[in-house]
Amino acid sequence: MNLDLVATGTAAAVVAAATLRAATPILFASLGGLISELAGCINVALEGVMLVAAFAGVITSAYSTLWFPDAPLWLHPWLGCAAGLLAGTALAGLLAVFHLELGADLIVAGIGLNILAQGLTVLLMAHLTGDKGSTASLASFALPSLRWPGIGAVPVLGVLLNGDEDTGHNVLVYVAMAATGLIAWALRHTVFGLRLRATGENAEAALAAGLPVRRLRYAGLLLSGLLASGGGVFLGMGYLTLFQADMAAGRGYLALAAVFLGGRRPLGTVVAALVFGAASVTAARLGQLAVPAEVVFMIPPLVTIAALVLVKQHQRLATRRRAAAGRAALLSP
Amino acid sequence: MTEGARIALAVGAALALGFLVMACVTDQPWAAFRALVTGPLPSMERAADGRLVMHRLVRFGAWLQDATTLTLVGLAIAIPFRARQFSLGADGQLFMGALAAAALSLGLGDVPAAIALPLAFLAAAMAGAAWGLAAGLLKTRFEANEIVTTLMLNVVAVQVYRLIVGRVLNDPTAGFITTPPLPGAATLGPLIARTNVTAMVLVAPAAVAAVVFLLRRTTLGYEIDLAGANPWFAARAGVPVARATVLAFALGGAFAGLAGFHVSNALLKRLPVDLTPGMGLEGIVVALLARGRVAALPLAALGYAYLRVGAQAMERATDVPREVVLVIQALIILFVVSDRLAPLALGSLRRVWMRIGRTA
Repeated sequence: MNLDLVATGTAAAVVAAATLRAATPILFASLGGLISELAGCINVALEGVMLVAAFAGVITSAYSTLWFPDAPLWLHPWLGCAAGLLAGTALAGLLAVFHLELGADLIVAGIGLNILAQGLTVLLMAHLTGDKGSTASLASFALPSLRWPGIGAVPVLGVLLNGDEDTGHNVLVYVAMAATGLIAWALRHTVFGLRLRATGENAEAALAAGLPVRRLRYAGLLLSGLLASGGGVFLGMGYLTLFQADMAAGRGYLALAAVFLGGRRPLGTVVAALVFGAASVTAARLGQLAVPAEVVFMIPPLVTIAALVLVKQHQRLATRRRAAAGRAALLSP
Repeated sequence: MTEGARIALAVGAALALGFLVMACVTDQPWAAFRALVTGPLPSMERAADGRLVMHRLVRFGAWLQDATTLTLVGLAIAIPFRARQFSLGADGQLFMGALAAAALSLGLGDVPAAIALPLAFLAAAMAGAAWGLAAGLLKTRFEANEIVTTLMLNVVAVQVYRLIVGRVLNDPTAGFITTPPLPGAATLGPLIARTNVTAMVLVAPAAVAAVVFLLRRTTLGYEIDLAGANPWFAARAGVPVARATVLAFALGGAFAGLAGFHVSNALLKRLPVDLTPGMGLEGIVVALLARGRVAALPLAALGYAYLRVGAQAMERATDVPREVVLVIQALIILFVVSDRLAPLALGSLRRVWMRIGRTA
């Protein structure tokens, strides 16, 4: 009985750890999407930002050994990480310039930048490695994993905190969690967070109140680029240790869906990102059974659509209940 | 500045930047650029006996074929856009249309072309329309963001397609996963020898004309435009905004479904399991180049298909990957939608010019 419990717990912990790993890139990107959405700018370019960040990170970490042969080994992945964050943020900055300075439609420009990212990464990859598929021929680095010492032997907790191979979770998994808390707090409790939300809520009122709306929107888009870049860097230097063509594989759009699904609130967005992570883990597990792969691949998009419908239904019921309660309060003497 | 000049300027600037990118990745940028720009044209040669002989008709045909598909996919983007809806779902609608047309053609078996062709045509349009309808209903009934739902529906459609082609319609004798060849009665014959340019090349402009008529001369078209221009006012004026929006999605989907019919029953004549997604996104470029004007779609599609076929010629002739066209495509999108870019660029050019004039 007791052994059974431990086995079940371990299996659950394995799934939870895998979910966390799969959800991390979506989590990063959806936090970014949330910030720019709250600033009144939907960021469709999350996908392209992730691609560019993953590419720049992987390539820089691989070439860093050539550029700085005397540098200590631990430095290369961090140089790659910095380059990835910089490149992804720069792409988001480009989106901001095109939208805020040049009057481009935000959604169309975002799609354009996604296509640009897709083309440029494959083009440069083919130029640098002679391969249009992946950078497998380059020796790139992964960011280190953090392993909790001394709990490897603890039954369930060990698997949960250090993964089923007892190597620990990538440092970016923890960064994602920290970023979640920080952003939830900053949006609610700082002046910057309030102003950002005011800009998105009603730009004209914010402008009339003397807020620098344009600068706040720049901040929102650049921050969203920085966060989504974190997800991209994790894809290339944590989740895998190479860059593949079209590596983001729709995660940027899933992140956008997570923002709407979470009702544009930090906690909801995080839950939605975790649900997407769990859906992809479930899909992978079902793939090992006799279920056709095609059916498995349908699960995440169908979950997204179903969730969007259910959330709306839920909101509608809640509004109706509140309206009924309000009427009752008005009518009572 | 006129709209046409603005777009020409944007395309020119994008091509120039694309050339710079090419120069970075190859030693022979001029050869690559020439292949890109002249690739789709047939070449004429005077043969030994004095007759004119046309070469490279295949590529010329590929240009017209591509433009046909792009026009139809462009309609699938442009019609919902009249109702101010960003449908990115042309891809899924195309896959469903192709699947329906091929499945029906195979299912009918040996029937005369007069029955098989119209039925397959209708099936493709209906399948595409149904897929568009789903996105429309999700938007109007549940306020689900249409960018997200259409992208998700694309993934579902591609997987349904692979499931059915791979496991139901699979031809075990083919050596790769594909449907059996469609019966001859259900496929369209070529209008130009050695190409797949079929009657669909005429259907596409006819479809555009029909949509122009619908938007300008019918109540539904007016309602779609009004729902897009000012949904609040339209609702107050008694226009069924939700119905018009849903129908715009469905109508767009029908044309993407016809693009699927074009792919299955005219171009490939059998459906491989690994049919490449992404044609739907190309439709966005076409709709953008036409600046939302439906009548300009065929022209935009011809221009853009020219670039795509040129890129294939370039990839074959030089070591420049065809992805360079993605870069050019992205730059075209960005430059075309940046309303303030051209005046800014021209203004600064003029200032530089005047400064040069003053110092000289």
